[in-house]
Amino acid sequence: MSLILLRLATALYSIGLLHSFLTIIKRQKTLFRIAMFGICSGFMAHFLSILFAWIELKHLPISNLHEVLSFFAFVIVLAFLLSYARYRLDSLSVFIFPLVFILTLGANLVHVQRTMRPEVLKSLWLYIHVPTTFLGYAALFVAFAVGIMYLIQEKELKRKRPQAFYYRLPSLEVCDELGYRALGIGFSLLTIGIVAGAFWASVSLTTSWERDPKIIWSYVTWLIYAVLLHYRLSAGWRGRRAAWLSVIGFIIVLAAFFGTRHQGSAHTFILQ
Amino acid sequence: MNVALVGVSHKTAPVDIREKLHFPEPRLGEALHQLRTQFGFEESLILSTCNRVELVAETSIPDEGLHQLKQFIYEFHQVQPDNFERFLYSYTQTEAVHHIFRVASSLDSMVLGEPQILGQIKNAFTLAKGAGSVGRTLNSVMTRAFYVAKRVRSETGIAGSAVSVSYAAVELAKKIFNKLTGKTVLILGAGKMSEMAANHLTHSGVSRVMVWNRSYPSAVEVARLFKGEAILPEELFKHIQQADIIISSTGAPHFILTREDGERIIHLRKNHPVFIIDIAVPRDVDPEINKVNNIFLYDIDDLRNVVDANMRQRQKEAQSAEDIVRQEVESFVRHSQTLDVAPTIVRLREHWEKVRLDELAKNRKRFGDLSREQEVALENLTQSLLNKMLHGPISELKRVSSQPADGTALDVIKRMFGLKE
Repeated sequence: MSLILLRLATALYSIGLLHSFLTIIKRQKTLFRIAMFGICSGFMAHFLSILFAWIELKHLPISNLHEVLSFFAFVIVLAFLLSYARYRLDSLSVFIFPLVFILTLGANLVHVQRTMRPEVLKSLWLYIHVPTTFLGYAALFVAFAVGIMYLIQEKELKRKRPQAFYYRLPSLEVCDELGYRALGIGFSLLTIGIVAGAFWASVSLTTSWERDPKIIWSYVTWLIYAVLLHYRLSAGWRGRRAAWLSVIGFIIVLAAFFGTRHQGSAHTFILQ
Repeated sequence: MNVALVGVSHKTAPVDIREKLHFPEPRLGEALHQLRTQFGFEESLILSTCNRVELVAETSIPDEGLHQLKQFIYEFHQVQPDNFERFLYSYTQTEAVHHIFRVASSLDSMVLGEPQILGQIKNAFTLAKGAGSVGRTLNSVMTRAFYVAKRVRSETGIAGSAVSVSYAAVELAKKIFNKLTGKTVLILGAGKMSEMAANHLTHSGVSRVMVWNRSYPSAVEVARLFKGEAILPEELFKHIQQADIIISSTGAPHFILTREDGERIIHLRKNHPVFIIDIAVPRDVDPEINKVNNIFLYDIDDLRNVVDANMRQRQKEAQSAEDIVRQEVESFVRHSQTLDVAPTIVRLREHWEKVRLDELAKNRKRFGDLSREQEVALENLTQSLLNKMLHGPISELKRVSSQPADGTALDVIKRMFGLKE
């Protein structure tokens, strides 16, 4: 049941993705309603998919690669919907939904194995560490997407020759503001998530989890975002510099996630 | 669609010809009245702007209608036909509807996507209504034209971007600052262009205006125009960092703002962006300033480039607009034909039903007393005769209505069966 719903969600997201692109290319606002329909109904199907898996497994479904991909895509769509509710940026969907589609497609393709959950995961800490971390990364992904939009728009404005993007992207100030908000929210959530993870590991893991590459990289990315946030608040690192750092920060997040998959002790179950 | 249209526009005639055919507003009522009483046009509309003069009328014989409309124009303006014939264009029926829809959607305007034409057409329509010159035909064509114009404006980018330098400046400001409310604009120097740009900016929400001039009294004078503040000549760099937008057009032969100034300003503003418009020749602002992060410098040529790029965008959007108009014309013509046919069919039936009943009543006496069954048989006989007779014409009417043909077939049938009043 959960898998069928996920397939449905993927199909609906693809409608959303296609119409987001069409909206931007043809500059027809009416097309975006179809995109939003695809996105919202896909989101509901996705939510039900996770809910059904949860009921079936009797715990939060994030124990293997399939579940992780699905859950991450889910929180990214959630982050997008929250951003859209506040800022109504149609063009943001074009930068966010390719990844969502890839993640859900990946989740569909990766074999679903309801294996026995590793002992270490049977804990309440799971419910604190994982959602906050994932939501944090989703918010940072929004900051990444908006950062790219900012950089493209800024380039067009600096070059003083309006081309395709100039007409289709929102203003610099809106991109910057959303980027700032997403950064703040993402960073706060990530902090809670990492701290919760550290506590959890110290209570339940015996191996030297402190030297787990994945965990070390998460500290590094946390530090990068901490620096960015600090300088935004105090020295006015806004606009172009902030956008670049949001972009680079998230690239490091991705590199860390994929680069450390086959190493370390704490997160190995994600490979299954 | 029994519509005929005759006119001149900036595309077919120079201004000295157009002005001779212009209908001044006070005389429009008189003109419409003449069209009705002397030329027999039940429905008519006159659009007369600086770029076009067009007459639209309802007419059942298109070519004759066109001829009459032209006659009216020549007589009303007391001009010789030979001098003007070649400047006039004319359309009938579907083509006329197509032209009307295009004009209303600003596709025929001098500046593609301009907003005034729709208002002008609406005024002409209201006036014609007031003069009693609008009936079912013109009403349905014109109200549909307004709808199509709205569709074109909202579904294409044809009216989207700025095509004048000062509007382009506002548009750019919005691309940088999103909302202009709460922002501050600083005017350096004085001049028509900078005042116009500042005007547009304040109308778009800029709340604070500062003015600086080498001569303080001049600054005060300009500041008064905008209910803003004048800055003392020596205090420019005390206040300049408060400006989000700077419009510069002083007569200075050197740079007023250098790159170092820019860097300092941005630092003081903690990287809040600055939009600088340099209208002056020779330029007031060092072009190198554009290299500073978060400063955007546009001189007059840059603004013109933006306008050109916007115009090209509009041309592209015009394609989609033309497609929309074409679709709408087809659906309108089809729809209006079905509308025309239904009442015609009803009237056809009604008319001949009345004839049947009349004849029955007239000839009833000759049959003497009839039994119940015989009465019914008589009724059925006359009914079925009538149905069989009308079956052909009614089928033909329905067939004609489903094809995008013109209205003449319908007219022929109406006349044949005595339905044309």
